[in-house]
Amino acid sequence: MPEAQSIQMPKFGQTVEESTVVAWRKKEGDQVAKGEVLFEIETDKATLEVESFLEGTLLKILVKEGQTVPVQSVVGFIGKPGDSVPEVKAPVAAPKPAVGSAGPPKQASVPGPTGVGLSAPSAAVSAGVPAPPGRLKISPRAARLAKEKVIDPSGISGSGPGGRIVEKDVISYLASRGYDRLRITLAARNLAAAQHLDVLAIAGSRSGSRITVADVRTAMAERPKAMSKMRKVIAQRLTHSFTTTPHIFVTVSTDMTELMGLRVKLKKKGVPYTVTDFIVKAVIMSLKEFPGVNSSTDGESVRWRANVHMGVATSLEEGLVVPVVRLADDMTIAELHDRIVEVVRKAREGKLLPDEMSGSTFTISNMGMMNVENFSAIINPGESAILAVASTTSAPVVRDGKIVVRSIMKMTLSADHRIVDGAMAAGFVNAIKNRLEDIGLWKSMT
Amino acid sequence: MAMKYPNYLSDTRPDVTPFEIDCGKIPAYVYRDSLKGEIDSGRLTAADAIALLEDMLIIRELEQMIVTVRSGMYDPIKNFDYRGPTHVSIGQEATSVGACSGLAATDKITTTHRGHGDSLAKGTVVIRTLDDEELRKRVPLSKAQTREALLEDALEEHVYRTIAELFGKEDGYCKGRGGGMHIADFSVGHLGANAIVGGGVPIATGAALAQRYLKSGAATCCFAGDGAYANGVVLESLNFAAQHQFTNELAGELKFGLPIIFFITNNHYGMTHRSNDEVMGVSNLARRAAGFSDDNMHAEVVNGMDVLAVRDAVMRASEKCRNGEGPCLLDVSTYRYYGHSLSDPRNEYRTREEEASWKETDPIERLKTQILDLGIASQSDLEAVEERVRQRNARAGVRAAKAADPLAEDVIKYMYTDSTSEELPSRTPSTQIIIALPEIKRKDGKLTYRDAIKEALVEEMARDSRVILYGEDVADYGGAFKGTKGLLEAFGRDRVFNTPISEACICGSAVGAAMAGLRPVVELMYMDFSLMASDQISNQAAKWHYMSGAQIEVPLVVRASVGGGKGYGGQHSQTLESIFAHIPGMYVVYPATPYDAKGLLKSAIRDNNPVMFVESQLLYGVSDTVPSDDYLIPLGVADIKREGSDITLVTWGPAVRDALKAAEELAAEGVSAEVIDLRCLVPLDIQTVLRSVQKTGKCVVVSQAIHIGSFTGEVASTIQEQAFDYLDAPIRRVGAKNGIAPQSHILEAAFLPNAADILQAAREIL
Repeated sequence: MPEAQSIQMPKFGQTVEESTVVAWRKKEGDQVAKGEVLFEIETDKATLEVESFLEGTLLKILVKEGQTVPVQSVVGFIGKPGDSVPEVKAPVAAPKPAVGSAGPPKQASVPGPTGVGLSAPSAAVSAGVPAPPGRLKISPRAARLAKEKVIDPSGISGSGPGGRIVEKDVISYLASRGYDRLRITLAARNLAAAQHLDVLAIAGSRSGSRITVADVRTAMAERPKAMSKMRKVIAQRLTHSFTTTPHIFVTVSTDMTELMGLRVKLKKKGVPYTVTDFIVKAVIMSLKEFPGVNSSTDGESVRWRANVHMGVATSLEEGLVVPVVRLADDMTIAELHDRIVEVVRKAREGKLLPDEMSGSTFTISNMGMMNVENFSAIINPGESAILAVASTTSAPVVRDGKIVVRSIMKMTLSADHRIVDGAMAAGFVNAIKNRLEDIGLWKSMT
Repeated sequence: MAMKYPNYLSDTRPDVTPFEIDCGKIPAYVYRDSLKGEIDSGRLTAADAIALLEDMLIIRELEQMIVTVRSGMYDPIKNFDYRGPTHVSIGQEATSVGACSGLAATDKITTTHRGHGDSLAKGTVVIRTLDDEELRKRVPLSKAQTREALLEDALEEHVYRTIAELFGKEDGYCKGRGGGMHIADFSVGHLGANAIVGGGVPIATGAALAQRYLKSGAATCCFAGDGAYANGVVLESLNFAAQHQFTNELAGELKFGLPIIFFITNNHYGMTHRSNDEVMGVSNLARRAAGFSDDNMHAEVVNGMDVLAVRDAVMRASEKCRNGEGPCLLDVSTYRYYGHSLSDPRNEYRTREEEASWKETDPIERLKTQILDLGIASQSDLEAVEERVRQRNARAGVRAAKAADPLAEDVIKYMYTDSTSEELPSRTPSTQIIIALPEIKRKDGKLTYRDAIKEALVEEMARDSRVILYGEDVADYGGAFKGTKGLLEAFGRDRVFNTPISEACICGSAVGAAMAGLRPVVELMYMDFSLMASDQISNQAAKWHYMSGAQIEVPLVVRASVGGGKGYGGQHSQTLESIFAHIPGMYVVYPATPYDAKGLLKSAIRDNNPVMFVESQLLYGVSDTVPSDDYLIPLGVADIKREGSDITLVTWGPAVRDALKAAEELAAEGVSAEVIDLRCLVPLDIQTVLRSVQKTGKCVVVSQAIHIGSFTGEVASTIQEQAFDYLDAPIRRVGAKNGIAPQSHILEAAFLPNAADILQAAREIL
């Protein structure tokens, strides 16, 4: 009997390690043509459709909707009806070590070759089986007591087998939290129960007095919401960067008067370059001058990057993405403009491919549209600097001894101080400034 | 050798004088008479002859209806969706009508999966004998003004209730619970068709045993096919029925052969195999009788295609039964025109020429010809009879098709009966004490478990003369475990007797005896032997109340003793109550203490459900307080043997003692364990268990049964279904290893669960 061919979880992009099957578009038994969409996946960055490289019948779905598996794991099989499907267990995402867990949990012994407890006078102890990650290990009785008391048992430490929370743990937790002294109206208690709130947490906000429905409503309004997957990634990456990379910040003011004038003229001629386009071009040119800024470090070595892959931070409703203009080095301003428009549009539509969201060597974050005087940004992991571009505002400046009104834009470079010294940072930002103020340069390009 | 009734000491000396066994002669086809002779001699009237014809026509018409209705072609109810078996007996009508017309109305029958004919004939024959008042009871709504019209209504009702049963309707004889293969009408002495080949034969034997004991004068005609006469329980029954002790001096004043006719409906095919020259070694099954009885059971080979010959043979046999000369055996040769069922085209195993030759001797045509030849009726008279039968069947069929189905929510209604024999019927004969009741010695108010059982038996047998006790070695010897010692002397051999080593027939005959009005207690010695009787316990005893649509109750007790723990090895040590708890219809009781043993056995004997009463040989010697009062312990009420609050130990049987030991040790550790003795697995008192688990949150279920498939699993799963939110830990089960009981006491100690195992399980969840 021929063997069915396996379908793999594709690896979209260098940094994607695992992906979640969001939806299967085909059922087991469906015919699948080459190029037809088989299923949708979600990486930590985007939702994507996966097309079939194979033709045949979808014989088996191994990874169900909602399951997360490492890339290149087998997710199903395609073949001819009757082909043998190898016995493969559904792959699982590598377990993330739980906070405070001491070593791997013990696996329950499986009694007998047929699993029917051939020798044991009593069944295998279910207590030895680790709870799936994210699932609170609690006995039904303890859970019932917690529910009856309208408390959240997740913070209680379990004394039962395998750390299971059992009734006595809840009882001693209640005692330690002074549950007996808790005063709450019946209506408030019922509402809290219906809303799955913890009356002890509500009590914490108003110690002493009786908890009322109003207190519960406040707690409902303030109930923490789970972060989106994207937000979690952002939080994790920014925290990592800001806590492991020593940042320095260098700010310059740039006179944008003439460039803005040129931009208006170009726009009238139907060439809609944005301020970003000019800044990106100026940055690319300056990076060629200061290759030390176009680099990264792991703390042990420094890696100068041969090309510029320009990240353009783009704000979306649900968070921030950084679409990447790859190989931006040799692009004309016109090419840059088109490419930036394209990746930003894809970012807004959620259609960026993983490779279009990773691998940038430098990032520009432009808040010029948002009326800010100045700001500093956190370096994207894997890069050594980020340029924060503020709004261009009319400001009185001194030119040739006279106070004149000019269009001034502040830019702040955040740089990894381990590999970018203050002087290099200053030289680099001034190189950008000088280019932006050199109207001849731009006239020659446009 | 002098013998004092009822006891008997064998004193058979060796005697090797040469001699020959003479099996005698078994006559075949002795009936040479005709309709003319029957009428001339006054054994039949002209009207009787027409009735015989009509009764055969009723069978053929109804079975032809089954054949055509199956294909949607029965005109009166075209396209009716008949679901059910199609074992028709067309061709065999003379056997049914001849036999039933040769019986008295009060005689009993049992029949087979191919039993429509027997069932119809027993009904029509009895109905024809009823007076107007009795007829009105069968058709209370009849508006008939004349006897003739009333009889017609009663016959139509009979056909209607038969068809309604085939169609699974609430108006069927068994309320649609039995169907054609289990149809029964106890009101006419029809104790049931049986879909287990041979399964009805021990039941008939037991019914005959009851008639003998009750001195009712009724015979039992046991219809079974030739195929059944290769079946173990049938051969057991032949031997059981022919026991010398029923007719020799052991019987004392009640010397009376079992009044049973083993009527072999020999259509020469067991489903499709040939009995004559293929799967048996005798050409005539009548020869079987010679193997079981010195008088060959008065066996004859009878022409089953001649209703008069069959009637004659059954009349003579039933007369013998009434004279105490039973059992009788009739090998009645007949022919099944259709196949085993409608899905059998008969092509593979017999010729069309063979079929044609038998049809030449068609019983209906044969009687018609004689009627016409004698001028009893004209051709048009007979056509009128045929038309009447056809129209009656059509009307009944139409009514049955339209009749109400049983309510789906009543699917398990009639599983058990609530009734008991708490009140004795006024006509129950009083008990006679032959010598004296056995002396049961109490020490400080204490009895052994063994004596508690004996005391229960003594009290119940003294109270109710319908309670009889039999089994292997229960009489003179007093039982393998001496639980019945002294009962023979107290109640006599007609109530306490040894049986052949025929577990299936012991249990099956108890079913028949129970159906016929007795309350048998049978003993199986080791519970392992219950598997020899598993059909009779599981398919017969357990099912008949339901399958009959609650027409009949089967009040019997099967006592089975568990030998585990004595080093008796794999076939004498099993704890099998879980198997019978899985068979709906049986009660399963397993006492753990002498007090419970007495109270539960007395309740079991008085209950009108069949009860599997399990005893433990480990407990027989255990003593405890047992009141000498007449007290009952209700079935299905668990007992809290020790109260506690931290953990619940649910158990039954000898494991109760281990659980109590474990509870004692836990108490020393400051853990308060509650021990619940279920006492009955069916009915199960789960509420007591749930209340306890709600209190403690932790539970260990313990029995001596091997782990896999043990009733402990049923208890555990019911707890988690109904008290999940109260559980503070997984429910643990403790049982014997999933193995076979070994002989070595070292191995058996490792095999069986003990208090330490219970403690370990408890500690793991505390």
